[in-house]
Amino acid sequence: MKQFAALVLAGAALSIVSIPAVAQDKPTAEVMHWWTSGGEAAAIKEFAKAYDAAGGVWKDTATALGENSRAAAINRMVGGNPPAAAQFNTGKQFDDLVAQGLVRSIDDLSKEEGWQAVMPPFLYDAASRDGKLYALPINVHGQNWMFYSKKVLSDSGVESLPTGWDALVPALEKIRAAGFIPLAQGGQPWQERLLFSAILLGKGGKDLYFKIYRDHDAEAAQSDEFRGVVEAFGALRGFVDQGSPGRNWNDATALVLQDKAGMQLMGDWAVGEFRTAGKVADKDYGCSIGLKGDTLIVGGDVFVFPKTGDEAQVKAQNLLAKTMLDPATQVKFNLAKGSMPIRNDVDTGEFNACAQKGMALLKDKDSQVPVVDIIMSASLLGALDDVLTQYWHNPSASADDVVEGFVSAFELEE
Amino acid sequence: MTTRPRRLRMATFVVLPAWALVLAAYVGTMVWTMQISFTDSKLLPVDTYVGFDQYERLFSSTRWLVSLQNVAIFGVLFIAGSLVVGFLLAVALDQHVRFENTLRTIFLYPYAMSFIVTGLIWQWLMNPGLGIQKAVQNWGWESFRFDWAVNREMAIYAVVIAGIWQASGLVMALMLAGLRGIDADLWKATRIEGIPPWRVYLFIIVPMLRPLIITAVVLLSIGVVKAFDLVVALTSGGPGIASEVPAKFIMDYLFTRQNIGLATAAATVMLITVASVLTPWLYFEYFRKARPRGAA
Amino acid sequence: MSSPRPTVAAAAPLERPANRQKSVERGRKPKRLTPGRIGLYAFIAVAAAFFLLPAVIMIFTSLKSMDEIRDGSIFALPQHLDFSAWIAAWSTACTGLSCDGIRVGFWNSIKILVPSVVLSIAAGSILGYALSFWRVRGANVLFAILLLGAFLPYQIFIYPMVRGFSLLGIYNSLACIVTIHVIFGLPVMTLIFRNFYAGLPQELFNAARVDGGGFWRIFLYVILPMSTPILIVAAILQITGIWNDFILGLVFAGRENLPMTVQLNNVVNTTYGERTYNMNMAATILTAAVPLVVYFVSGRWFVRGIAAGAVKG
Repeated sequence: MKQFAALVLAGAALSIVSIPAVAQDKPTAEVMHWWTSGGEAAAIKEFAKAYDAAGGVWKDTATALGENSRAAAINRMVGGNPPAAAQFNTGKQFDDLVAQGLVRSIDDLSKEEGWQAVMPPFLYDAASRDGKLYALPINVHGQNWMFYSKKVLSDSGVESLPTGWDALVPALEKIRAAGFIPLAQGGQPWQERLLFSAILLGKGGKDLYFKIYRDHDAEAAQSDEFRGVVEAFGALRGFVDQGSPGRNWNDATALVLQDKAGMQLMGDWAVGEFRTAGKVADKDYGCSIGLKGDTLIVGGDVFVFPKTGDEAQVKAQNLLAKTMLDPATQVKFNLAKGSMPIRNDVDTGEFNACAQKGMALLKDKDSQVPVVDIIMSASLLGALDDVLTQYWHNPSASADDVVEGFVSAFELEE
Repeated sequence: MTTRPRRLRMATFVVLPAWALVLAAYVGTMVWTMQISFTDSKLLPVDTYVGFDQYERLFSSTRWLVSLQNVAIFGVLFIAGSLVVGFLLAVALDQHVRFENTLRTIFLYPYAMSFIVTGLIWQWLMNPGLGIQKAVQNWGWESFRFDWAVNREMAIYAVVIAGIWQASGLVMALMLAGLRGIDADLWKATRIEGIPPWRVYLFIIVPMLRPLIITAVVLLSIGVVKAFDLVVALTSGGPGIASEVPAKFIMDYLFTRQNIGLATAAATVMLITVASVLTPWLYFEYFRKARPRGAA
Repeated sequence: MSSPRPTVAAAAPLERPANRQKSVERGRKPKRLTPGRIGLYAFIAVAAAFFLLPAVIMIFTSLKSMDEIRDGSIFALPQHLDFSAWIAAWSTACTGLSCDGIRVGFWNSIKILVPSVVLSIAAGSILGYALSFWRVRGANVLFAILLLGAFLPYQIFIYPMVRGFSLLGIYNSLACIVTIHVIFGLPVMTLIFRNFYAGLPQELFNAARVDGGGFWRIFLYVILPMSTPILIVAAILQITGIWNDFILGLVFAGRENLPMTVQLNNVVNTTYGERTYNMNMAATILTAAVPLVVYFVSGRWFVRGIAAGAVKG
């Protein structure tokens, strides 16, 4: 028995020893990310496969939910035990890490590969600090898609999706009259913000969008245009069903794909739900960017590469960055993820009808705006979320409440 | 009592490492928390001091004020509810019922489950389109309403129900441990004197269980101040901000909203509140007594 | 109530033939079906129904297919017994790149659980004993700080602790996470033991000291044998808390020691990805299995007699 135990122990010891032995020869990268669910995991697998094929060893550290994964990554960086790469959302999330010198710039790599020329400019800028690239954008998520059930619309006598937010109201009334839920909405603040942003852009226009979200312009927030946007947003309050508060976005999507509800405003990740349920774009369900289809709100994910004194780690990081941006890998990754490639020079033939519409807009700088997370601090964004969600869930709240809330949030932020 | 130096030294010696831990971990973190609350730290701590700015922001935030109000409502109802339900369950199980082991596990299991998912179940149950309301209406009672989780006025009470569901099993276990420690002679004596059992429980047993009840109240209070998962899973603080609580405020600003200056300011306010309740209570409960022993 | 009585005898080994002892204990014969008994069972039945309702829905949901969940009522019985979600949750669910289900972290959780529970209970009971029976300078202040600290959300501790542990050089290790659990367990453990010991008869302790017992002797031979019920409660608290801990394990345990709850989180939590409710339910129940078994097994210690005399007016 003792001998057996010793054998097992020896075996275990050997297997522990043998892993670093292999790892020493090949560049090894531990990658921290939060893509754990079906389609997301399939997407990250494409990266891992490509990295292994390129001669590296991918060590996967997946933790669900961005805040959890980021907490683990940030603390490991602070604690001096960083991974090779860690996922973040594009935007201000890694400002402090850059400021404290915990993140490595990959600007040289970008110049060498010519990334700036092929990426959506807003996303490239959002990943840069002081003109240098500090994070690697890897995909684009459109965040103002209106998905609608073709059956519900035609059963309600709505021929086509209206192209303006004011015209939407009578259409929603028709849908309700026909016995359907007009608007499938998940009642969580971030989902309400998505809807509001789409209206701000669609009805208020690009100028107002930037004035509010980027410049925190109190005057613009008090303008009639902005008030009109808030009222258009408020007019939709009556069109959700009673079970909406607290609902997950996918449950709201389920209402649309089961033809119980008319439409849902969501990011393009919702396409995955339709696909799993066997629904075909432009046949069972329709998708429109905003209502007009002219401007896409873009966001996406990035990886940051923590600073490390280790030469081997730098090599592993370089290989990782190049692999992730390889055109063929980009296509495979984004097909699985349901997002769009970060580069506009890849073959887009395999993407579905919805993604095609999005990618067409990505080609032109003027037909896209950055998602609010990118241009606003998380703290201010949170304060605005609080204002919007109070308005959305309180039928007696007026547009003035929102205007006041925005103005005072802007003041406190300065 | 005469002091015996040698033994005293051993007790003191045993307490030393505890002091080290408490100073390094607890006092250290508390001081750090207060210090950061006077800076404008975002994602990571920095040392640019901004005076009471964070506190000003904190108390100008409607959400924080709503959170304070909610935690008071939640605290009172949750602690009272869990104590009553837990005590009744313990008494019930103490009546030589059959399948005690199974029943005890049934009452205690919610405590073992991750609330990420059990909270979702409660969300479904209290959702008017999916849960109890719909089921009862389908049985024929058309006007039945149970929409607490989606109702702004009632959402915090929905959280109370789920909280009691989760925590009263633990109170039951504590109380049961106490009841099982009560001497059989007591029951004989009260029976001979003809005191009805409910009076025995209320006027004799409850005072005897005082230390355990205090333990339960402290445990439940810690749960109240730290209530977070419960709210996130059940209502995510909504509808709107109707069921926000301070711990969720702290967590949101600590992680998602990346403003640890504000988060630590909120934590400091909570800490001072707790301290101002705890200190007088501890003093009267434990320290005033001349005896070296605590509550008796 | 407080008259001295032969309490110590009760702590002696029990050779109880359960039934006979039970009927003697309280002196009341529960056999007859009185209105009171009916009321009692009615109360228990209602309570059990309230407590079980979510569990029933969880189990139902775990046995349904996703289409069935989407289309049907949450109260509907599953159309057929389909355990695939359970199997998937345990062994094939993808938690990122690896598709080995939640079992991956099981042994890590055990590795974290056992030393953490043992050490934190030991620390709490010794400290509670020292603070309740012995006169220690500054004991009250120590206790007050500990209790106050228990009210601070532990997420606040993360950053200073990370700095502290990386300074000590044990950040991201098993030792690190065990120390963390001991630290966070200390307030509540000290509280419950202190309050429990406060209820024990002082005469016992005095007698032991007259007999010349020292700090450890009295603890091991007099106090500990009487602590069974509170040890069980402490074990329930700590096993549940540590087993279900997620964020501390994630941040402090290190990549090689991630507990099962990290896998559970990976299975059930997502913002933008799809949610497989059936698997989420199964994974949650499976993860809770260890504390549940402990609760069930702990029952044999919830027996009258062992603790007789432990609580006193």
